[in-house]
Amino acid sequence: MSSLLRPTLLGCVLAAGLIAPASAADIFPYQVHEKELENGFRVVTVPYDSPGTISFVVIVRTGSRAEVEPGHSGFAHFFEHMMFRGTEKYSQDAYNKVIKRMGADTNGFTSDDRTVYYITGPSAELETIMDIESDRFINLTYEEDAFRREALAVLGEYNKNISNPFLPLYERVRELAFTRHTYGHTTMGYLDDIKAMPDYYDYSLSFFDRYYRPENSILLVVGDADPERVNELAERYWSGWESGYQPAEIPAEPEQTEARSSHIDWGGPIAPHMMVGYRAPAFSDSTAQSVTLDIISQLLFSESAPLYKKLVVDEQWVDQISGSYTDHRDPYLFMIFGRLKSGDLQEKVDTAIQEAIADLQANPVDKERLERIKSYLRYSFAMGLDSPQSIAMTLMNFLVLTGDPQSVNRVYEQYQKVTPEDVQRTARELFKETNRTSVTLSFPEPAAEPAAGG
Amino acid sequence: MRNLIALTVLLALAGISCTPTESSIDTVTLPSPDSPLVAIRLMFDAGSVHDPAGKEGLAALTALMVGEAGTAQREYSDLVDLLYPMAAAIDVNTDREVTVISGEIHREKLDEYTELLHEVVLEPGFRESDFTRNKEQLKTYLTTTLRASNDELLGLECLQQVLFAGHPYEHASEGTVAGLDAINLDDVRDFYRQRFTQESLMLGVAGGYPDGFLDSLLEAFSSLPPGGAETVELPEPPAIEGRNFTLVEKPTGSVGIHFGYPLPVNRADPDYFPLMVANSFLGEHRTFHGRLMQQLRGKRGLNYGDYSYIEHYYLPPFTNTPTPNVPRRQQYFSVWVRPVVPNTAHFALRNAIYEVERLIELGMSQEEFELTRDYLLNYSKLWAQTLPDRLGFLMDSRFYGSGYFIDEIDEELKGLTLDRVNAAIESYIQADDFQAVLVTDDAAAVEAYLKDDQPSPMPYNAPPEPEVAEEDKKIEGLPVGADGFTTVAVDSMFQGGS
Repeated sequence: MSSLLRPTLLGCVLAAGLIAPASAADIFPYQVHEKELENGFRVVTVPYDSPGTISFVVIVRTGSRAEVEPGHSGFAHFFEHMMFRGTEKYSQDAYNKVIKRMGADTNGFTSDDRTVYYITGPSAELETIMDIESDRFINLTYEEDAFRREALAVLGEYNKNISNPFLPLYERVRELAFTRHTYGHTTMGYLDDIKAMPDYYDYSLSFFDRYYRPENSILLVVGDADPERVNELAERYWSGWESGYQPAEIPAEPEQTEARSSHIDWGGPIAPHMMVGYRAPAFSDSTAQSVTLDIISQLLFSESAPLYKKLVVDEQWVDQISGSYTDHRDPYLFMIFGRLKSGDLQEKVDTAIQEAIADLQANPVDKERLERIKSYLRYSFAMGLDSPQSIAMTLMNFLVLTGDPQSVNRVYEQYQKVTPEDVQRTARELFKETNRTSVTLSFPEPAAEPAAGG
Repeated sequence: MRNLIALTVLLALAGISCTPTESSIDTVTLPSPDSPLVAIRLMFDAGSVHDPAGKEGLAALTALMVGEAGTAQREYSDLVDLLYPMAAAIDVNTDREVTVISGEIHREKLDEYTELLHEVVLEPGFRESDFTRNKEQLKTYLTTTLRASNDELLGLECLQQVLFAGHPYEHASEGTVAGLDAINLDDVRDFYRQRFTQESLMLGVAGGYPDGFLDSLLEAFSSLPPGGAETVELPEPPAIEGRNFTLVEKPTGSVGIHFGYPLPVNRADPDYFPLMVANSFLGEHRTFHGRLMQQLRGKRGLNYGDYSYIEHYYLPPFTNTPTPNVPRRQQYFSVWVRPVVPNTAHFALRNAIYEVERLIELGMSQEEFELTRDYLLNYSKLWAQTLPDRLGFLMDSRFYGSGYFIDEIDEELKGLTLDRVNAAIESYIQADDFQAVLVTDDAAAVEAYLKDDQPSPMPYNAPPEPEVAEEDKKIEGLPVGADGFTTVAVDSMFQGGS
C-alpha cells in the first residue's frame, strides 16, 4: 500500500538529491532533502538550527505486523535487541565504546509497523555514526548463546510491563478484535512465545535476511547537517547493503460482525479498568477518513470535550479516560481506555460514552468547535518541534506509514478540510456495535463471609 | 567530538540572566529572541516537606487546587476550554521541596495565556467539587498506580520511605491516604496563603518573549502576599546499620530490587562531580554504558536494565535523561535492578552488590575515567535540548546556589582528575550499610533464602562467556549478610495515620 502513496518521481532520483522546499502552505517548516541509493535505501535530511547536534535515525518499516508465523509474536522487538549485539568489526563492547566516546543518546524501539534506531549526538561525528550504523545493518552477527541470553532480557522487559494492568487489557482487546491479522498480538508478544524465543535462533537469522533490507529502510538525519555531505557519506557507507526485501504476507482481517467482550480478574485490589476497541480504517493522507478519527478523539476525549468533563470533572466517575486512533498501515482500532472510581459505575460510564457517540452520529458538530480543534492540532504540532530528536520522530512516523515525508503536510491539509459532515459520517461508520470489542479488569470482590451461626 | 559544547555557547549568546529585579520575587530569565515559543515556570517553596503532620498530601493537593482547578471567576472546565485552542496547559508538580507550575506557549498566544496564568496562580477558586476530584486523584495514585500498577515506582517510593523514616522526606510527595482524608478545604486555603508568597517564588521565563514581558509578570505576581514562608530545617536522615531488607508483598510474577543509602552530597557540593563520573561508570540511567547494565543485562540477560544514582531521579521508568525541577537539599545513592524472574533474584541482588563492591575495591582506571568523563561532557548537553529543560535546569541551579548545571558539569569535569574520582568513591560509595526493598509475591521465601545465604548459581539458558562463568563463581556465593527484615503488605503502604 505504501508504494502507491510514494511519489513516483522519487524512483527516478538516484544520484541527484531532491529538495522539497517548505512552502508557506506547509505546516512542516523545514526543508526536506531526499535521495535514493541504487539499492533502494532512502536518505532524508532535514537541516535544523541545532549547533553541533544531529539526530540520526534508521527506520525499518517492519514491526510486529510482520510476525505472521504462529508462535513468533514479539520477534520484531526481540530482533531490535539483537541489533545491539555487535559485528565482527564492532563487537557489542566496541560499539558501546564508540557511542560512549561521543556522548550520544542512543536507543531503539519497536511497534506494530516499525522498528526504529536512533542516535542523537555530535554532528562532527556524522561519519563515525554512518560507519557504525551501516556496519550493524549490513554485517550483524551473533552466536546462538548470545541470542539465547538476550531472550532473557526480553522476558525481563515483559516482566517490568506486566505489573501494569494496561498490558493485559491491551493484549486481550487486540486478541479478540483481530482473528487473523497480526495486529491481534501486541508488539511485546505473548508470554509463551517470549519464553520460547531462545529456541528460534535460525528464525532470527531469516527475520534479518527478509526484512532488514535497504528497500524497506530509510535513513533520516535532522539537525546540524549538510544534505550533500549526508548523501555522500550515505553513498559510501550504505551502498554495499544488498537489496532483497521479502514483504510478509499479512492476512487480511475479515469484517467483524458481532460485538466482543471479555473480563480479566486482577490479583490484588485495584481501581477497575476498561478498554474498548472499535475497528477503524488504515492511515491515509489522501482522504479525510483516518485524520477525522483524530478530530473525533479530540471531540470526545480531550480535556475540553463535554464527555471528558462529565466523566472526570463533574460526575467524577473516572479519574482517567482517553480515546484515540494511532496511525497504522492496515485497518486498526480506535481505542478507549478508562480507570473507574468503582465497579458499580461501569454501566453509567458506558452509557455516557454511548450517548456522546450517539450525539456525534446524530448531529453535525458545531463549526466553531471544529475550528477550535483544528487550532489545537496546529499549535500542538508547532510546539512539538523543539529539538532535532522531536522533529525526527515526527517525520519518522510519516515515513513509516507512507514512505513519504510530505505526508506530514498532507495530513495537516486534510485536517483543515474536515467538515462537520465528515465527522458525522465517520462516527457512524466507526462506532457500530458490531465493530466493538470491550474488556474490563477488576479485582474480584471476595465472597461474602458466611453469617455467624449459632 | 566536543561540538556539543556549542549548545552551551548558544545559551551564553542567548543571554542567560539571573539578576534579581527590584521585586522581592527571584527571577531567572533565558531570552531566545528567535524562538517562537515561550516557557514560563513558577517554583514555589511549597513541597511535601511542608505538609503538617497528619495532613500528608496538603502541598500536592494545594498545588492541584491551583493548577488543575477553577479560578474565582471561572469553572475549571471553562479554563480548560480557553487553553485548549492554544494547545496550552498549565502543569503542576509537587516534589519533596518545591511545587512547580509550568507552561509553554506559542508566542502568538502569549498575552491570552499569561492572563489565564495570572488568574490561576493569583485567584484560585477553591471549589468543593475540584477539591473532591483532586483529592481522589492523589489517593488513586497511591492506591492504584503505586500499589497495583507499577512495581518499579512502588519499590522506589518504598526505598525513600525507609531511607528517610521519621524525616520530612519520608512520605510520598502525593501524601498518604489518611493524610489526604484529614485535609479540608480550609487547610488548602491556609496552605496557599502561607506558602504561595512572593519570597517563596522563583519565577522563570525563557524563549521569544517581548520586551517588558518579565516586568508585566512581576507586576502581576507582586499581588501575592509579600514575605516568605519559613524554610523547613532538615534533620539528618536516620543512620543505617548493616544491610536491611524491606519486602513488599503483593501479587506479582517478578522481583523488583532497589537498594541505597542517604548521600550527604548534592549539586552544590564539589564532590558531586567526581561522584557523577563514578556513578555514570557504575550505572548511567537507561544506557548501556554502566557496569551494572553491561554485567547484569548484557552478559547475563538477567533483566531489562540495571542502573545507579547519586540523586533522586524523577519517574525513572518513563524518562531517559534527568528531569529538571525536582531539586532536593538531601539526596541518596541508589541502585535499581529492574524486575527479574524469582529464581534469579538472589543472584541478581548479589551481582549488583558485587558491582558496587568492585567499584569500591578497584576504583576507576585512567582509561575508564577519561572515557566516562568525555562521555558525560557531551551527553549532559543533550539533557537540555529544549527551552523548558534549559529553563528548568537553570532554576534548579538557583535552588542549589550553584551555576547553570550543564555548564558546571562542563567546567568541573574538565578540571577533574582520576584521583579525585577515586577519592570520592572511597569517601561516599559503600555497600555495608544500606536499605534494600524487594517487591515480591513471596516475602517468606525471599527472607528464607537471604537468611540462609547459600550459593545461588545463575540458571542460564545458554552457557555464558568463560570469563563471565569464572566471575559467577564469586558472585553466586557472595555473602549478602542481611541484618534485618521487615515485610510489608502492599495494601498497608501509603496508608498513613496511626
